Amino acid sequence: MSLITPLALLAAAIVGPAIVAMYLLKLRREERTVSSTFLWQRMVRDVEANAPWQKLRRNLLLLLQLLLMLLLVFALARPYLAAQGISGRNLILIIDHSASMGATDEPPTRLHAARERAYQLIDQLPDGGRATVIAAGGRMEVPAAATSDRRELRRAVEQIQLSNGGGSDLSQALTLAAALAAREEDSEVAIISDGNVILPDNLRVPARVSYFPIGRDTENMAVSAIGLQPGTNGQTLFVQVANYGQAGATRRLDLYLDGAIFNAYNLTIEAGREQSLIIELPPQVEVVEARLNGADAMPADDRAFAVSPATEAATVRLVTAGNRFLETGLSLLPGLKVVSVPAATTTFTETVAQVPVTILDGVTPPELPPGNLLFINPLRSTAYFSVTGTIEFPQVRPASGEDPILRNVSLSEVSVLKAARIVPGNWGRVVVNSDGGPLLVVGEREGRRLAVLSFDLHESDLPLQIAFPLLLSNLMNFLAPGSGAEAAQLAPGQPLSRQVDAAITEVRVTRPDGRTVSSRSGEVQIQAGQAIYADTDALGVYTIEEFAGATLVGRHRYAVNLFAPGESRIATQRDLTIPQTSGASSTVSRERDSRQEFWRLVALIALIVLVVEWLVYQRNGLAYLRERWRQRTGDRQSPLRS
Amino acid sequence: MTERASEPLLDSAFLRQLDRLALVLRRPMAGDIQGERRSPRRGSSVEFADFRPYAPGDDIRQIDWNLYARAERFYLKLFVAEEELNIHLLVDTSASMDWGAPNKLHYARQLAAAYGYIALSNLDRVSVTAFGAGPGNLQLPGVRGKRGAVPLFAFLQRLQPGKQGDLARACHRYIQSARTAGPLLLCSDLLDPGWKDALSTLASRPFEITVMHILAPQELDPDLEGDLKLIDVESGAPVEISANLDLMRRYKQHLAAWRGEIESFCNGRGIIYVPVDTGVPVEEFVLGRMRRRGVLR
Repeated sequence: MSLITPLALLAAAIVGPAIVAMYLLKLRREERTVSSTFLWQRMVRDVEANAPWQKLRRNLLLLLQLLLMLLLVFALARPYLAAQGISGRNLILIIDHSASMGATDEPPTRLHAARERAYQLIDQLPDGGRATVIAAGGRMEVPAAATSDRRELRRAVEQIQLSNGGGSDLSQALTLAAALAAREEDSEVAIISDGNVILPDNLRVPARVSYFPIGRDTENMAVSAIGLQPGTNGQTLFVQVANYGQAGATRRLDLYLDGAIFNAYNLTIEAGREQSLIIELPPQVEVVEARLNGADAMPADDRAFAVSPATEAATVRLVTAGNRFLETGLSLLPGLKVVSVPAATTTFTETVAQVPVTILDGVTPPELPPGNLLFINPLRSTAYFSVTGTIEFPQVRPASGEDPILRNVSLSEVSVLKAARIVPGNWGRVVVNSDGGPLLVVGEREGRRLAVLSFDLHESDLPLQIAFPLLLSNLMNFLAPGSGAEAAQLAPGQPLSRQVDAAITEVRVTRPDGRTVSSRSGEVQIQAGQAIYADTDALGVYTIEEFAGATLVGRHRYAVNLFAPGESRIATQRDLTIPQTSGASSTVSRERDSRQEFWRLVALIALIVLVVEWLVYQRNGLAYLRERWRQRTGDRQSPLRS
Repeated sequence: MTERASEPLLDSAFLRQLDRLALVLRRPMAGDIQGERRSPRRGSSVEFADFRPYAPGDDIRQIDWNLYARAERFYLKLFVAEEELNIHLLVDTSASMDWGAPNKLHYARQLAAAYGYIALSNLDRVSVTAFGAGPGNLQLPGVRGKRGAVPLFAFLQRLQPGKQGDLARACHRYIQSARTAGPLLLCSDLLDPGWKDALSTLASRPFEITVMHILAPQELDPDLEGDLKLIDVESGAPVEISANLDLMRRYKQHLAAWRGEIESFCNGRGIIYVPVDTGVPVEEFVLGRMRRRGVLR
């Protein structure tokens, strides 16, 4: 609690002694002439000691007046609490539950602090006000929609759990909030977050938007990458540690091989930099854990796991008239076996399990092969998209955000001569766009993964750039999951999927916390030759075991790591720029105008004290009235008493 | 109370009622000259009193010759003397009496007038003394008979309130100067620290004393509230009080105790104590309460 005008307290120092002095001096006493003070003198001698302090002690009126004065002076000083408040009757509460909200700088976690703040806001909700709770960042959830039941709202807020996957994209939540706010007058959107979020570009929220920043700490180090690859005589581990803080730091990195400590490295990293280690490991190692010793605000990203990649290679069928770039690029990717097929081939007999991926480079067979498909420079329309023409010199515009396809890929210097103008179906998301149409579309349709690159590699300088092998790698990771070095790694929340034979009758997944789920109970789904387990939000190593009957057929490990720089950068943003339709102020933070004054309350108490003081002053009259009333009722009860 | 000087103290209807009343005397009292009251002395009347052996120098006309015939000794036949009574009216005119509504001094005048009128109509001698007006006492030397009512009322009308009165000293002076003892009516509010001295001084001579303790309704039940500074009208001495219901209750208890103290003091000295509330009309008081009290008959 603080005061806006603390100088007003000086008034107490002046007025207070004045009141006391007035009482002590008794400057004003009404004079009354009586026939004789003879009786009074005798009585006053009896009952009253004339010491001034004794008079003061029993003078309730003086004490009340002093209290009243203090309260008024206090109210004049305009006290306020640094609480933050809302005013709208329709509150839309967006609570960020992304991984960065798991930082422990607001003990126990930022999410807890966010919940507390949400409780406060719910408590501040005016009577009859309604609130909607949206958990955003990662998977968006709406646990409570437009309800005025505060218990339900609190329960909804309580249910919000940390979501490690999916980043901190508030676009969806804000779009929903804007839609909700537009429906009702006097709406207010409250965002409780640490501010490390992605905001939509072209959204105007038709309501007041308040931002309640959570979090204090800025220092954080994280294991930002880990990889285990088969080497010449054993395996090679690649570990990268990044310092996302604002000051250099030294931490020790411990390496555990299959649960046993292997080595430790002292790393000194400057702010914003990263450091990599390449370590030769014995070939039989299956699980590597890299753990940063010590504690920082965000423990979730201090650990990372790498598992030995699957040994079996995935087969990729390349249908092309000859493409050296593509062939070279694919051959560099580990865990892939490339089978080239002439471009004239029209019938494909292999099953999905045998050839899971087909690349159609410049050809579009009338009957598409089964499995996942990558179209490069398609000539004709297919069931998945239509080709309507060509685009000359399209400007390459990668999509914003963190698309795994564009991970580590920089397309800023890529030029394209000519591309097919394609119109994808609603299955795909545009990864690379241009003025005339999409250049790269990926998506899933009917259980098969599809990617369309709309230009011929020969009509672009893309293959000459370093982005090409990375893009190809990302695409193949997408199209042929379970192959390559990255295959055994998943982002949190990314479904764990694995091609299984028809012979497999049960798939068990052992989660990092030791719990085992099975396809028998329905938690792991087997559909169209794929076993899918979606609940991979917890970080750690997942083990998939495939059973044919009672015999264990295969065991594979997957590591789920939080490699999200956006989440590891935990410094709290003090402002969010959210355009609102109402006013020009686009930057809203509640830190600045968070003074909640309560002089009204103090003044109200002063008023009550004033009433009490008046009653005390009039206590004679009140006592007289009471006596009269008692007499009257007494007379009525016993009329015979004269 | 100059504005009241013009109107008569007692109206004529009241005076006619007073004609039927008489003073109650508990014992015969001696007077100066022959009158109509039984006196403790022996004198000449028709009422036989006693016999006494003759001593030389006695009036031989009083010798009972019949008794001499029987006893052959001289006895004087004595008769009850009938003398006039000296009625003493003492009116306190100190400043404290000129207070209250109805005014205490005016009430005292009326009481003295009524009492004096009754005495005069019984052919007694009435003298009035007012004290409190100054260093000396203002006196009306004895008047007698109904004709005396006019100067008596005039004197009472003329009485002006004084400043500060010392009740005890005034009483002392009066005791020393009064010639004959007789019924004495003291009209005062006794609001004086020396009230005990005053009463015992009066009781030191064989007066038949009646104390009219006159208090105004404002003194019996003061209408005071809040923080007040009470100023004594006589001495000007202030007393600061914080009047509330509790204090008022204590005041009334105190007043009652004081009056009880006076009454028991008077009882111990054969003084008739009559509390007077000036709120009661004087006619009602004289005709009702004073008769009940045994002061009048």
